[in-house]
Amino acid sequence: MLIEFAIALPLLILLMYSLATVAIEIFKLGRFQLADYVLEEEARYVMERITQEARVSKEIEIDNASNKIKIVYHVVNDDVIYIENNSAHVEDLWRTHFFKLNSSNGKLYAQRQDNAPLTSPITGDNSFGKTKINSLKYFKANEKVLRIVLEMESLETKHKIKIATAIFMPGCKKFEE
Amino acid sequence: MKKIFNERGFLLLDVIFLTVITALAAMILMNAAPRIRNSQSTLQMTALYLTNEQFAYLESRAVNGEPLPTNFLGEPEDLITKNFETGKEIKFLVDTQINDSSNPCKVTITVTIDGRDDFEVKAERMIWLVKEEWRRLRAD
Repeated sequence: MLIEFAIALPLLILLMYSLATVAIEIFKLGRFQLADYVLEEEARYVMERITQEARVSKEIEIDNASNKIKIVYHVVNDDVIYIENNSAHVEDLWRTHFFKLNSSNGKLYAQRQDNAPLTSPITGDNSFGKTKINSLKYFKANEKVLRIVLEMESLETKHKIKIATAIFMPGCKKFEE
Repeated sequence: MKKIFNERGFLLLDVIFLTVITALAAMILMNAAPRIRNSQSTLQMTALYLTNEQFAYLESRAVNGEPLPTNFLGEPEDLITKNFETGKEIKFLVDTQINDSSNPCKVTITVTIDGRDDFEVKAERMIWLVKEEWRRLRAD
């Protein structure tokens, strides 16, 4: 009776240990796959924020040293409508938007939220994986074309992604570097 | 009688262990398909942004009235990427077709991974060339 135990118990422990190791490896690969998808989505988010506003810009100013871009564009404030000479005027506004990498106001990238339902209960970190912008460079190609090169990295998988694009700004009157 | 009682207990224990271990092994094996991410969606996104880049340069030339060339007008370093750094270099080949004013310009990007053609992204945009024309309105 005891001899059966002496053979069966170590075998059992070895079997359970190997199964658990394989399971952990598979779940880790699943988590890496999710982090890669999140990285791609956040890179696209950053690019779209800049391209959509730069496309309609009237004035644009880039500063690579402090990694800042300033876009001035024309918006229409239709909260204020006044009637003059029997025609309605909608108030015209110019809005200036600064994009900096790490300020709290006008922050560029959408980091996934860290509140309780989205954190992993065991380790406590963000269940999608954090990402980081490695570099975001602006170049002036000519008077009306802005070229952007973005490089982002996922802190979970250490994978990097680099995207380059250019935007043609038809209404841009002033482009400073 | 005591001996038989003990043996039945161990038999039940063995059966339970076997069931649990088999179930665990089946769950793991069913999930053991390779979890390598399909990197094509990222490459397609990168290729689309590259077509936007080529169109931006083409549009800026069209507004100035210059003729449109068919080579890649951006920086050559944008054509090579190492996304997700799997060690393989990924190159983009940009092919531009300029048609006359009634047909759109087509930009085709072929992505090659490790020298082998992987997939192709096509984008079209109508780009109107700005032409100046002076016409005499009155016969003086």
